Amino acid sequence: MTNNKLTVSHAPFWHDGDSLFKMNLNIMIATLPAVIFGIIQFGAPAVGVIALSLSSAMLWELILNVVSKQKISIGDLDAAVIGLVFGMMLPATSPWWLVITGTLVAVVIGKMIFGGIGANPFNPVLIGMAFLMLSWKIFFNFDAAYVNYEFNFTALAPLAALKSQGVSAVADLFPISDLIMGKQVGAIGSTFGLGLIVGGIYLILRGYIRWEIPVSFIVGIIVTALAFSMANPDTYAGPAIHLFSGYTLIGAFFLATENSSSPVNRLPMLIYGFCAAAMIILMRNIGAYADGTILAILLLNLVNPLIDKIRPKALGKGANNA
Amino acid sequence: MIKRSFFTLTKPRLLYDLVEPDPKEPESIPIPSDLTLVLDEPIDSTRQALIKEGDSVEKGEKLRLYNQSTDYTISPVTGTISAIDTYLDDFGNTSTCLVIKNSQSQTTDTNSMTYDLKDDIASADEYFRTLPGAPPLKILASNTVKINTIIITCADMDLLSTTHQYITLKFWDKIKEGAKILKKLTRIPKLCITVPENLNIPGESDLIQVFKTSMEYPSNLPAMILKNHLSMILPAGKTPEDMGVSFISAEAVVSLATAYKTKSAGFEKILTIIGKQGTKYRAKATIGTPLHKIFNAFSIHINDQDRIVIGGPMKGFATYTHNHPVQPDMDTVIIQDRDIIPEVSDTPCVNCGKCIRICPANVPVNILVRYLEADQYEEAADKYDLESCIECGLCAYVCTAKIPLYQYIKLGKYELFKLRALETANDE
Repeated sequence: MTNNKLTVSHAPFWHDGDSLFKMNLNIMIATLPAVIFGIIQFGAPAVGVIALSLSSAMLWELILNVVSKQKISIGDLDAAVIGLVFGMMLPATSPWWLVITGTLVAVVIGKMIFGGIGANPFNPVLIGMAFLMLSWKIFFNFDAAYVNYEFNFTALAPLAALKSQGVSAVADLFPISDLIMGKQVGAIGSTFGLGLIVGGIYLILRGYIRWEIPVSFIVGIIVTALAFSMANPDTYAGPAIHLFSGYTLIGAFFLATENSSSPVNRLPMLIYGFCAAAMIILMRNIGAYADGTILAILLLNLVNPLIDKIRPKALGKGANNA
Repeated sequence: MIKRSFFTLTKPRLLYDLVEPDPKEPESIPIPSDLTLVLDEPIDSTRQALIKEGDSVEKGEKLRLYNQSTDYTISPVTGTISAIDTYLDDFGNTSTCLVIKNSQSQTTDTNSMTYDLKDDIASADEYFRTLPGAPPLKILASNTVKINTIIITCADMDLLSTTHQYITLKFWDKIKEGAKILKKLTRIPKLCITVPENLNIPGESDLIQVFKTSMEYPSNLPAMILKNHLSMILPAGKTPEDMGVSFISAEAVVSLATAYKTKSAGFEKILTIIGKQGTKYRAKATIGTPLHKIFNAFSIHINDQDRIVIGGPMKGFATYTHNHPVQPDMDTVIIQDRDIIPEVSDTPCVNCGKCIRICPANVPVNILVRYLEADQYEEAADKYDLESCIECGLCAYVCTAKIPLYQYIKLGKYELFKLRALETANDE
């Protein structure tokens, strides 16, 4: 008879083999089409911004881990995803200090002080971005950012042009095919609409983001923009330019879907996505900002715990079995 | 182990195994020299015990600890009691284990003691509680619980196991016979049987109503059978027995039929053994046989840090010893190699929502676990449906953060139960 030491643990004894590392790795893979396109479009400075953003985000988390004497948690790649998506939202010409200040705010204030992964009430990327946009608005003027570049398409940020020049002026400047194929000025990872959509569909199929959020988000953009445009076509642009420019698609697939700050029940997810999109169009059409994606999603992050209370009744609870 | 598929737009589907069409006879494991029996009652050193080490016992003899004891076990062999010790389970509940030294040679099989049986359930409860399959006679005979439906489970509750299905195929006539006896004993009019939808049972019976259950886990769990086939929603925190439904395994019905025919107890338990490569073996072993005897019979080698799982992969428990005895309700034993044992982690919930999608009882697991981690058991039960959980283990199976969710829930329920017991005690 043998006397081995056996492993004793609790049921279930199976696991589907998924992990945070795999989830975050897949999110990073999904960003690649848009990121690679951005690098091709904007050249070496874009590589610099993405690399600095990704590495500094991980470094900030590592420093926080060491300072707060916690287990080193960068191995789950959550900070890497924050850094990568953050880099995608910056113009390629951002100065180095802007990037590391942004990731500091994103990782430290957006995530770590709330208790790390899973505990952040807001999307950390958006916290960092909102901080930068309110502090150094000048760097997010995409027309100024790319003033030294030569493009073979309209070198105007579509949403800013729309805001300043009106619908009739921009109508012919931005054909939809150009917008989808990334022939527009914007942040590194937000211009290539097709790449973002491919990445998003990949994540949906792999089950790493919940399809309800991006779908309702896109529906929300289309419905709200269409409503505005039908009410007054001279003042408000149609859904196409809203959908394929600015941060809309990166918002739909990579920002609004951030796990910790978004709902998990079906109806709340649909409400969340739709309302976030509606808020974006409201901000763009009526508000002061050219692109309201960041603040709109942050606002919906705020109400997420409230709407996520709408959930199906659990088995054996409630009046039908009294 | 079933892994996540590449595309997982929908929730994963875990399917029950179907018994092979023409199953082989189970491998008979010889009666070992030492058998271990488990008695639910803990040892109380202040009282005079009825049995002590060195006592000789006869095959079929009823063994109790004390005069007032209601729990008993039946000795499967003639021999002597060589040890009486305390057994501690996962939650720190104590019971007693008796080791019986088999005095016969392994080849001769003496007849078991015969009992004087009457045609009522109390008489059956007197002797047959520990029959293979563990019939719930204690509940059926109790005056406090009113049972009006008995469900015979031919569909195995957990994944991988095919023990009940095998018995259904092989002993269908015995099941019908046993059902007749059950009906006579209990006078319960409604008798149902659960059968996997893809399994063709050898025949019908006008005595029993057949429920064809889905092949998808967890459709064979009691709460789901109540919901899908009896249109009964199990209220949170209640057991099927509270609702008047009792579950009895197919094996228990078969052994009850045999026991009434011979007027003596049977001890041969049929088990499905799943080896490290997923190979299935079927064994017939005497209750009390240590598991390592069975592993030897199939030349399954156990290494350090391997895991022996008793019950299925979703709801079973892991034992810490090869000497764990075969018990009346043990249908499946799984041996997992240490290399495939999935790890758990203490990462907090990231709110990915996979548990919400898969939970068959709509429990908000993502919020619930936050309360359970903070030991807020009452709040967890009141607001976040702790007691609605039907304990299928699917949430922990899919958890991206690898949180041992099912363990948290079981612990939560256990602590809640203790809290409530304390409150009632204080009130009185």
